[in-house]
Amino acid sequence: MWAWLNGPGRVFHQPLPQSTNYLGAYDKSGRLIRGTTRARKSDEDKSAQAKDGEEDDDALTELEKKPQENNEDENSLPPETLEDLRPFPLNREFRSQPVLSVELRDAIYNRVVRDGLSVKAVSAEFRVEMARVGAVVRLKAVEEQWIKENKRLATPYQRAVLDMLPRTPYVPEKPVVHESINDLPVHQATRQQIFYPASESRAFTREDAGKVFDATLLPADARIPHPELIEQEKWRLAGMPKAEREAMQAELDRKAAQRKAELERRRKHKEDTEFKTVPGRRWDFKFQDINANAVGQDERSLKGVGWRYGFPHEDRKRGQIKIPRNVN
Amino acid sequence: MRQKFHNLKKVKVRQTWNKYNLYNLSRMTTPNASSRTFFQQKWGAKSLTRAYHGEQIREGQWTRMFRSHMPSVVPMDHQYLAQHDGSEQAAGRGSGLDLPPGEKKRALPKTPYMHMVYHPTERRLDTAIWRALFASSTRQARQFVVHGFVKVNGKKMIYPGYLLNPGDMFSVEPERVLWGTGHMKGHKLPEDSERRQSGQNQRADESDDVEKKGDDKSATQLQEASPSESEPVKDPKAALKALRKQAEAILENPKQGRTLSAKGKQELRAFKRQVKTTISRPNASTERAIAQNLESTFEQLKATLLSEKPASTTTTAASDTSTEPETLSPKDEYQLRVALQRAYENPRDPSKPYATPWRPREYMSAFAFIPRYLEVNQNICSAVYLRHPVARPGLAEVPTPFHTETSQLAFTWYLRRR
Repeated sequence: MWAWLNGPGRVFHQPLPQSTNYLGAYDKSGRLIRGTTRARKSDEDKSAQAKDGEEDDDALTELEKKPQENNEDENSLPPETLEDLRPFPLNREFRSQPVLSVELRDAIYNRVVRDGLSVKAVSAEFRVEMARVGAVVRLKAVEEQWIKENKRLATPYQRAVLDMLPRTPYVPEKPVVHESINDLPVHQATRQQIFYPASESRAFTREDAGKVFDATLLPADARIPHPELIEQEKWRLAGMPKAEREAMQAELDRKAAQRKAELERRRKHKEDTEFKTVPGRRWDFKFQDINANAVGQDERSLKGVGWRYGFPHEDRKRGQIKIPRNVN
Repeated sequence: MRQKFHNLKKVKVRQTWNKYNLYNLSRMTTPNASSRTFFQQKWGAKSLTRAYHGEQIREGQWTRMFRSHMPSVVPMDHQYLAQHDGSEQAAGRGSGLDLPPGEKKRALPKTPYMHMVYHPTERRLDTAIWRALFASSTRQARQFVVHGFVKVNGKKMIYPGYLLNPGDMFSVEPERVLWGTGHMKGHKLPEDSERRQSGQNQRADESDDVEKKGDDKSATQLQEASPSESEPVKDPKAALKALRKQAEAILENPKQGRTLSAKGKQELRAFKRQVKTTISRPNASTERAIAQNLESTFEQLKATLLSEKPASTTTTAASDTSTEPETLSPKDEYQLRVALQRAYENPRDPSKPYATPWRPREYMSAFAFIPRYLEVNQNICSAVYLRHPVARPGLAEVPTPFHTETSQLAFTWYLRRR
């Protein structure tokens, strides 16, 4: 082991400056593969192949990153290929994916908080998942709070960690694709193969196919996170001018916001009528009507309130979860 | 904890950044199947994979967590969906019209479902903390949770087995993170720059002869460009550069005296004192006072550098320096400011339980990756669990060091048809 650690494994002792440093990037004798001329040549071939359109989104971001990094410093290492991002030599199907750079995080936060754009719009603009946009804003808000409170940030840690990871850079005019934003979850009903005869003259669409799998299954157009992008594309294909498209989208956004506000109002109203609040000395007491029949047929429904006489507790049984299931 | 956690005879990879583990990871192979029965293969695969995934979870607990259903997604192209209604895929005899000869159907890469066997363990709080690079092992992450250094959605969570829900934010005490991921106290400093240089030379040797000449040239150029350590510093600009570079080096290692001229040494000592007095000030009343101190240090430093300038011009008798105005160039000033700022952010503080100034743990970079189902903000040592890990064409989001075959055998073991 010591022979390896002091020989080929020596390269992992300290991180490569401004680069990832995974096992997959080195050969058996501990030489960086992409540092050699042969690797450079094959790299060029690969990038030429990738231009033909064989690679997925991640590869595209990789390609877009390349010229930038080259501009920075001629003496620096060539940028990582997909091969270099494999931390596990045996697992070919896993690679370290880029994380958001600090500048990109700031840009996302500014778009949402300062410019007041919707999460959906920002997600489509930067090609970052909606959940991630929300998380970035949430985390950044906490960071701002810490700065306001003069709490010490772990800045050296952030700098060191981000140096070791592949990052998606922030290009103000032309945002780099970070990830696929229209991921369609594979529905359980579609995991079977069905032989379904249909006449040759019939236009058998996605919607029809969905109904064959499950009567309630919606088509992909409705199940992806950004269905509005399809609508916009359809308008574009129909030859609608850009200004008109934007106006229509703004109108739709306004309606959606209205609907959301209405739902919120109803929820508030329901809460107000359902609970009777009595202000106490330190706490407010909230009273709610309870129906004893809410325990259901087997009298074990979670909606039921109180312990029912003669029923043994289940908490000593195997597999019962006794730690919190959620934190609000 | 089990006795042989990092075993060198039976290679078992664990969820740690340990160097033994890195060695094991580098020499791991797929177990030989030809001489073993199917049961033996499955047993071996199960034992290998379980040593990595949720080794701290009891087997019975894991078997209850196991699900044969594995979540996956397919990325959709909205332009394609807008252009087609899907009927073209069912045209002809039911599987789309034949393409003209020479054209190939574009197929997505296969979805590696088998790497997703252990996806329920990724939901656990301790594993997520380790995946977010806040601890050097899952065991350590578990300890952080149990000792009460971890919050979920702002509330203290002491259960390492808490299953995170999508949207949960977990945060670890930054001091603990710096301790867990930082260089250990008492370990000797790595001779970093030397190693890197030798590594570059080695790389240059490997390349072709034509390339070699160029590389050698560039290497010599580099040597010339870098501030020479043995010669006394003559050029004021070089002195400034060296000083700027050494700002952090000095703070790191006070004993490592660089050979400079007597005057240079004096300057360095003064600089060191200034920076030290400014930075190592644990009882400083407010941040503003420190910032002001930093500013004053910067001004003093600038003044000393400028006072050195005319003295050195007399020795070199260079005409170009006399034409220059008696101020630092904005670039130099900026860089000096950055160096000071960094030194201020990452001070030397013997009271900390980790080596200061903080630097990452040995061998961390080989294990450093953050899976896509987490969004991490390192500054505040917090992360959000966005969603459950999924498999997508060509990529499984559960980081597992094993070959597909091994994972599949383990999956078959837990299907309970053995």
